[in-house]
Amino acid sequence: MSASRDRILAAAQANKPDELPLPEVPLFGGDATAERFASVLAGIGGTVVWLEGLGSLVPTLQQLFPEARNTASPLFRGTVPVDAQTSTGILAEIDLAVLPGEIGVAENGAVWLPEANMLHRALPTITQHLALVLDHRRIVATMHQAYAQLPGTGGYGKFVAGPSKTADIEQSLVIGAHGARSLVVLLY
Amino acid sequence: MNHAIRADKFLLDADRTTWHDETLWFVREKRDKAVYGVPEFQELRELASQIKNHTLSRLDLYLQEFEAAAQANGVHVHWAADAAEHNAIILDIIRQQGATRVVKSKSMLTEECHLNPYLIQHGIEVVDTDLGERIIQFRDEAPSHIVLPAIHLKKEDVGDTFHTHLGTTKGESDPQRLTEAARQHLRAKFLAGQVAISGVNFAIAETGGVVVCTNEGNADLGVNLAQVHIAAMGIEKIIPRLTDLGVFTRLLARSATGQPVTTYTSHFTKPAPGKEMHIVIVDNGRTQQLGRPDFRASLKCIRCGACMNTCPVYRRSGGHSYDFTVPGPIGAILSPNIDMKKHASLPFASTLCGSCTDVCPVKIDIHTQLYKWRQVLGEANEIPASKKWGMKFMGRVLASTRVYGLGGQFARRALRLLPHGLTHATSFNAWAVARELPAPPKQSFREWYAKQPQPAPQPQPKLPA
Repeated sequence: MSASRDRILAAAQANKPDELPLPEVPLFGGDATAERFASVLAGIGGTVVWLEGLGSLVPTLQQLFPEARNTASPLFRGTVPVDAQTSTGILAEIDLAVLPGEIGVAENGAVWLPEANMLHRALPTITQHLALVLDHRRIVATMHQAYAQLPGTGGYGKFVAGPSKTADIEQSLVIGAHGARSLVVLLY
Repeated sequence: MNHAIRADKFLLDADRTTWHDETLWFVREKRDKAVYGVPEFQELRELASQIKNHTLSRLDLYLQEFEAAAQANGVHVHWAADAAEHNAIILDIIRQQGATRVVKSKSMLTEECHLNPYLIQHGIEVVDTDLGERIIQFRDEAPSHIVLPAIHLKKEDVGDTFHTHLGTTKGESDPQRLTEAARQHLRAKFLAGQVAISGVNFAIAETGGVVVCTNEGNADLGVNLAQVHIAAMGIEKIIPRLTDLGVFTRLLARSATGQPVTTYTSHFTKPAPGKEMHIVIVDNGRTQQLGRPDFRASLKCIRCGACMNTCPVYRRSGGHSYDFTVPGPIGAILSPNIDMKKHASLPFASTLCGSCTDVCPVKIDIHTQLYKWRQVLGEANEIPASKKWGMKFMGRVLASTRVYGLGGQFARRALRLLPHGLTHATSFNAWAVARELPAPPKQSFREWYAKQPQPAPQPQPKLPA
């Protein structure tokens, strides 16, 4: 194995071209408004709902998801306590996960969700529905600005842009492939 | 069998060919719409190109930086010189777990290495979890597109396949209901998966992490439920810095499908506590391509598929006609590096129109490389005798004014006198397979021009002294 490592590295060194410069990437400007974020997210199948404040989170969720029985969240007491040790069987029964997002990206509707906010790494995709709670002042214009603000990527983290979807059958868009069937971003 | 013969098979169904052509062109139009919405898009292409060029020029150093960072994150790093070693490493990791159930998300590299048949042959259940890949896995077919693996199929085909394998109602062809059936079927596989294999879109030297982009969420679901994650990557997936992803995530999905970004852009950096993460770094001909100055830029590819969607030949010949893991224009410049003899016809499966180069988000000079591969293949005597001698003959004719003029005279007369059955004999005139020859003109342009009255001399403008 290490023989292959040495062979690959030696071949890469021998065959690479003369060194070329690494460009600096500007941050670029752009529209960082919540309105832009909301309209782009709507275009990819997600929804923005405004909260009057974090205090109205639970009643808003009850309105949006009246049928959700098994809920998990670090923001309020859900019906299912979830942590990194929660079994697959219990995770598979979650109807709604409500997780805090860290950064919103106006150009593509994505929200950065670090591992620390997920309760369990699988929760954001195994839940039937996902709601992300985001401070509207944390919306940036582009991915450059989002990456510039990330303190790091931790052990695991992801940008989530809309609900899980596929167009693998005749290019027909179907929302709800394997991950969450719907995505709501609750802005406050 | 060459590309043209395999394309003939695809073209037998004219309606389907038209549908394939129009559907992929529609994806190209969606790409254009997304691209025009980003004022700095061309600047981003240039940045992406420069970042990739720089990375290739320090590839050995970045690979070592990546390895050290990944190991510091508690990730096991493996190196595979070729497909056989890649497969053996992965089987070994699975066996060490005593595992038999593997869930896989999309990876063109594992397709290239023929990992699935290898694992299945060794008693491992391998389930492809991307919907398109699951469909073709049921049908025992290869993907026909790197982003849209089942684009060669119609919903009725998928309905038949799911009826056979998933027990959906016979005749059911509604994409929503078929997708729901696959969701239920694959959920069970995700929950039971012991080892998850994923591809890699980007590997960040600075952090040692890998990034996987999906719309379905299948990579996240598989990896985060299994005990072990194995990520397979070619050496060219490296980028230097986390912030470089700002450039590549803005280009990838817009170029691929016209989306502003994939639904999930997932950063896997450390294994979850109590779990394992492995990264297999694969060469399989890539360092050889790096050593070919004319062709090394092909290693910049980020696998968006834009060159396929725009290619007039790909759209009308289908992915399977290329008989290579990566079809389309980019496949036609990658494949001769792997096996020049087998793939000798692919660089000719192009009109050299250059549309692939125009849409490439990392500015690979695809059509120039197609042209250069033709030269290499010609010198290596890897083109058919009829093409070789035909080209040599035409080269002579077109290089001589006199021979060209005589040839034209002969052709104009012969086309008028010879019977249609002979001039349009498809055995030697491929043009006539689906077309009529134009009516021969009475005279050539040069003959006509010579008969025109000489134009009166134009007054010369006075030049300042």
